[in-house]
Amino acid sequence: MSSHEPVPLFSAQFDLNSQEFSLSGILRPLSPIEIAETTTLLEKSINQVRGVLYINVKRLIHMNATAYHALARLLVNASRARRDIRFVVVTSSVVGWATRTFHHLSAIEPKIAVEAYDSAFYPGQTFVENQSFIPILRTQTKMTWRHERDILPRHGMRAGIAMADICCGIGDFAVLVHKEFKPARIVALDHSAVSLDYARKVAADFDIRDIEYTYGDASEMLLEDNQFDLVTCRHSLQIFNRPDILLKELYRICKPGGRVYITNEKNSHCLGEPRAASIQWTYNEVATLFSHFDMDVEMGPKSRRLLRDAGFEAIEMESFMVSNLDGDPQDFADVVAAWEDVYAGEMSVRRGDTSEFIKRFRQGFQDHIFAALHPKGYAGWPIWAASGRKPL
Amino acid sequence: MSEQSTDRTALPFHPMLELEMEMEIFMSDWLHCNQLSNYVARMVSHDRSDPVRHANLLSSALNELFEISFRSGSAPGRLHCDISRGDHLERISLTFPCAPEQQHLYRDASTKASGGGALERYLDALADENSVQEDIILLGLAINYDASLLLREVEGRALTVILDIPVEGLLN
Repeated sequence: MSSHEPVPLFSAQFDLNSQEFSLSGILRPLSPIEIAETTTLLEKSINQVRGVLYINVKRLIHMNATAYHALARLLVNASRARRDIRFVVVTSSVVGWATRTFHHLSAIEPKIAVEAYDSAFYPGQTFVENQSFIPILRTQTKMTWRHERDILPRHGMRAGIAMADICCGIGDFAVLVHKEFKPARIVALDHSAVSLDYARKVAADFDIRDIEYTYGDASEMLLEDNQFDLVTCRHSLQIFNRPDILLKELYRICKPGGRVYITNEKNSHCLGEPRAASIQWTYNEVATLFSHFDMDVEMGPKSRRLLRDAGFEAIEMESFMVSNLDGDPQDFADVVAAWEDVYAGEMSVRRGDTSEFIKRFRQGFQDHIFAALHPKGYAGWPIWAASGRKPL
Repeated sequence: MSEQSTDRTALPFHPMLELEMEMEIFMSDWLHCNQLSNYVARMVSHDRSDPVRHANLLSSALNELFEISFRSGSAPGRLHCDISRGDHLERISLTFPCAPEQQHLYRDASTKASGGGALERYLDALADENSVQEDIILLGLAINYDASLLLREVEGRALTVILDIPVEGLLN
């Protein structure tokens, strides 16, 4: 390719319905002429909107000064000529340079607002970023690992691979995989700075230096296409309101022939004996509660369909029951106690439930704990693991 | 050799990567700026606290310097890039052929970027369609990356731009 051809590394789109002009990819032209089509599209977009125009640069990975200057002048001039339109530039907190760079536009012309996209865009994100969730995640991973250690090789895990753990949380899974399977490379990504700080500290304490913990948004990742032999995403699709977008990203970063491995729950199938009816009632309500916040904790058995719809082939699917018989029953009880804290103590309150409802809701968790700790009792938490191969 | 800014060579910087290529080859394709920036940034970011974001930021700054050298248009000669690391800084040192009559553009831009009032000058330059490209680039590096600049003339035929960037600080 000669240097006079446009750099084909980016795309620009305008969506009239949402009045949003989006730029994505790498925008590093030699001269403004190379991006003339893009600036013309932006000018046309400005002429078609009323009230507000959103400029979405969340997926703009790189932009050079030449492109920025051209866009900045266009936006500043347009905001001065069209006093009836507000301009809102939406950047990503994940792309470090973007918010700093675009922020100057509002200093030049106050009618241009710059908003850093953040976790508030995900309805359920605030609950899982809460520090009180850390003990839940830690104990959950300890309990599920007993099963997943056997399951993972059937889904593409083996020594020497390049793998990514997306929505890695506090990073325990990455550490366990690192020790057990010895991949050549592990990238672990999460959108919670608090969780990543914790993960880095644990890795440092264990003298583990080769896990790349990175701050990132699973639906808008900076990771390049076709990089990983195995991409894992555990218990996370079910807490995003748009799992299809996440799966598209998991597919994108997976190598052709590689696999994407997901785990999800079906909370209404949590069970226990004795006090089965009370436990059943509460977990049915858990599913309804999550649905209120646009999360689907009934997703587990839907994994096969989700993977097929995302374009995967050779889908493998299985389920396992984490129970009070796996090691110390107190671990199971601790997990349920943590669920009660977050689900009944925070989410149900946020939904505006009555005190009578919350009391009954809590009772089911207490009964599940009772079943877990009872010498003759049984308590279970079912999980579905599935993986699909990206076609060659 | 002459210097325009305070000599900071006494600071302890450890070499990370050195790259050299014929200017003629480098200038055969504009995409080399993007490719080299991403490659070099990724190679030296692997051991940082957040390698992906570190590489993204470093590539952005590095690319501006590669683009400056590309635009200088002064083949023949060699392009030389050194990356080194101090306690809190990544140092990019880029040497490229540059005719003496062109060097004043970079010296002027560097002076504007290094002195007080750089932010105001940057905002004015952004809104002005007649701004000098070198001003926008060097002011942008100083303002958006908290970078400091040093220029060195190499025997009247080449220029070395040294850029110190606190990348780890920008990640927080």
